[in-house]
Amino acid sequence: MTAPPITELIDAGTVQGIADEVWVAMLGEDEFLVPLPAELPTETVSAWVSVSGPWNGAVVLTCAPATAEELTRFVLQAHPPELLENGDVTDAFGELANVLGGNVKSLLPGPSKLGLPEVGTTPSAGSPVDTCRVDAVWRGHPLSITVQGAAAPVHPERNEVPL
Amino acid sequence: MKILVADDSSVMRKIVIRTLRQAGFDDHDVVEAENGRDAYDKVGSEKPDLVLSDWNMPEMTGIECLQALRNSGSQVPFGFVTSEGSAEMREKAADAGALFLIAKPFNADSFADALDGILA
Repeated sequence: MTAPPITELIDAGTVQGIADEVWVAMLGEDEFLVPLPAELPTETVSAWVSVSGPWNGAVVLTCAPATAEELTRFVLQAHPPELLENGDVTDAFGELANVLGGNVKSLLPGPSKLGLPEVGTTPSAGSPVDTCRVDAVWRGHPLSITVQGAAAPVHPERNEVPL
Repeated sequence: MKILVADDSSVMRKIVIRTLRQAGFDDHDVVEAENGRDAYDKVGSEKPDLVLSDWNMPEMTGIECLQALRNSGSQVPFGFVTSEGSAEMREKAADAGALFLIAKPFNADSFADALDGILA
């Protein structure tokens, strides 16, 4: 069974609501995402988890590398001058995407599988009608959260966690 | 009491341990495991009184760890802390013998609600 495009399954307000909860719980009770469209910088980094099932795609968090580092400091409550350890940014940034993705997945038709978090260059998106995007600003830093259909077929055997 | 925290994310293990303290469970020993296989092994070697486990992990998932523990005869109290809190996941967790499932994102109240009565 194939699900309809993501825009028929979830809206930006719902994704924003999930992100608001994640931000308060993982970054701090005074941390908010302001839903303002702001242009992302030229250099960005993304964290994402794939979803495969009736709907195939990924939940992707994208921002500047420096913003990913700042997000990590808040997740770890390791504000300057404490140094981050190797792998902390990949781990914390990926975990933000993982929690966003898990909550989005729970609203999509099932059964579906969630992949493990990945961090790197923003993955290619499929059709614009199969993309739900939230642009927001956190502490002056622009970022985006997209729930985007897969550009190519997702391979279920690569998902490590059967439901 | 001793609590085993299993998550492939070192950052998430730190958050879970921090939240345990915020929820008032700050006088327990904590042991960490980085996947389900490691958790399974440490249940044998560390003999924890409670396992708090992620679901989605490489090597061995949380649910596979729980099933392996029960198949081996271990009845260690086991709860999930996972980003997926759908009714389907909760039912599967309960069927396998989990006491609770705390969905991420969580806060100290989520931990207190789930753990009061389990941790003295």
